[in-house]
Amino acid sequence: MKTRPLTLTVNGRRHGPLDIPEGLMLIDVLHEWLDLTGTRFGCGQGVCRACTVIVDDADGSREMRTCITGAHWFDGKQIRTVEGHATRDAAGAVTAVSPVQQAFLDHYSFQCGYCTPGFVNAATVLVERLAKAPIAKADVEAMVGAALEPHLCRCTGYVRYYEAVRDLVLRTPGLVKENA
Amino acid sequence: MMRRRRRRWGRWLLAAIVAGVLWLVAANIRWPDRGPVQTVSAAPEQLALGRYLVDAADCAACHTAPGGAPFAGGVALPTPFGTIHGTNITPDPDHGIGRYTADDFYRALTHGEARGGRQLYPAMPYPSYRRIARADADAIYAYLMTRPAAAVPNPRNDVGFPFNIRTLVNFWNFLYRDAEGAPASQGQSPAWQRGRYLVDTLGHCGDCHSPRGTLGQIEHARALTGNASLGRVAAPDITPAALAARGWDAHALDAYLAGGIAGPAAASGEMATVVALSTSRLSDDDRTAMITYLLGDSPAAAGPSAVAETDASLAPGRAHYLDLCAGCHGAEGRGVPHVAVALAGNSTLRDVNPHNLIIAILDGIPEHAYGDVERLQAMPGSARELADADVAALANWLRVRWGDQKPTVDAALVRVLRSPAAASH
Repeated sequence: MKTRPLTLTVNGRRHGPLDIPEGLMLIDVLHEWLDLTGTRFGCGQGVCRACTVIVDDADGSREMRTCITGAHWFDGKQIRTVEGHATRDAAGAVTAVSPVQQAFLDHYSFQCGYCTPGFVNAATVLVERLAKAPIAKADVEAMVGAALEPHLCRCTGYVRYYEAVRDLVLRTPGLVKENA
Repeated sequence: MMRRRRRRWGRWLLAAIVAGVLWLVAANIRWPDRGPVQTVSAAPEQLALGRYLVDAADCAACHTAPGGAPFAGGVALPTPFGTIHGTNITPDPDHGIGRYTADDFYRALTHGEARGGRQLYPAMPYPSYRRIARADADAIYAYLMTRPAAAVPNPRNDVGFPFNIRTLVNFWNFLYRDAEGAPASQGQSPAWQRGRYLVDTLGHCGDCHSPRGTLGQIEHARALTGNASLGRVAAPDITPAALAARGWDAHALDAYLAGGIAGPAAASGEMATVVALSTSRLSDDDRTAMITYLLGDSPAAAGPSAVAETDASLAPGRAHYLDLCAGCHGAEGRGVPHVAVALAGNSTLRDVNPHNLIIAILDGIPEHAYGDVERLQAMPGSARELADADVAALANWLRVRWGDQKPTVDAALVRVLRSPAAASH
């Protein structure tokens, strides 16, 4: 297939222009060109959401599935993968994981971990959305369910994933409306 | 003198209006039905026939709510006149048809008159059922009356004035109920005759696939030529020429009506329900008859599917395709079994009317199961990813590449269809 130049920003770092075949899905570029293998290839059909990354634009952050979205769709865009959530020192060593990652660790949310990158990104998008538009406490349970529902976990870890995100949302200042 | 006469005249007018209003009110009050509860016993053959005809007439599509008791009603049908609900047709004496005699049932089914004379709304396809044979109506009655009664009340219909005046349906019936159009195809064989009964009468295909006039009446002069006014998704033109132009032959139609998937075409939305509840349950002979009527006794050859080269002016549409569609439909449009249909040769791309293609790009398509093992995965909508001009470019590239169509979609059309209220254009 013909190639086209692709430039994109991943986890704050600009890549490209890279010579990328037309019609290649982003997950292949992440794995084979950028050596970012944390994003998981699951079903390859857009169903399991293990391949979800975050796209940041003027409207905020949102999820995109990289197994069914062409790499060139991300041309000029900013994305975050699971490798981009932790805080690192100047040498690149992890100094602290993100609050979502910590919540999953605290709740023993995952077993095999294959779906975890997708869950981390989904929960992060949810937390960032609630920071802009807090919801009533009574709505948290349903909102967490709606945000995580599309993500599949074959180790049946759903309860601990959901509890981790619900607790994180409830204890993080600014995500839940006071007196509501 | 003049004034007194005028005053007297005014009094008469007032009395007439009051009488008219009282009549309307009285005619629309539902007096409790105190007729005797009917019990029906029928031979096994008649019950089996009734069950088969209930499937052929697709009663459950409107009269069985998802997750509800069979035939207990509650399915909401949005219409341009308001939301109407399929009613409880179990033998429950108070909420269902438990007090209906076979004569009452026949009148409701074929004339749209509920027991006691109340007019049904023509959302109930009695103008199509008008020609159901009396023996078939009696078999349907026997089957329904021997199902378990469900004491499920009928939801209130949400129909605005003046369409909520049931008596006005009499006037509609006078104009439209008995109209019968010319057949949709040429033929006279026994299979064609049987197919006409299955398509036009029992299956009431025209209730979705025929255009409707301003009062919701089926326009018989343009029967089965498609209708885009019923919801987001249009019912496509299923006349013989249109079917052949989109690549349908008897073999493909048989696979589609039996299982919901035929090569690069898959039933979705309401048509998937029709296949699941009705056409997949028909006998092989009846399905063949249906197809014989749809295509005619001497069907035209189906148009071959073509792959056309596209010029540079369509390149932006191709880029959108590779970015947002090819992950499942494939760079060459071949699709993936059990995931996504092929687009090369796809019926929706080959439709002269781009309506459903644009709606699919904008809204996506929910996942569907077909029978016990076949399924297609959910298709994400791209309304957020693509501006109106991008959707138009993508639709044009697809239609030229695999649909043998001209690139006639423009951003203005996409803008109209993007609005959630868009039902027709």
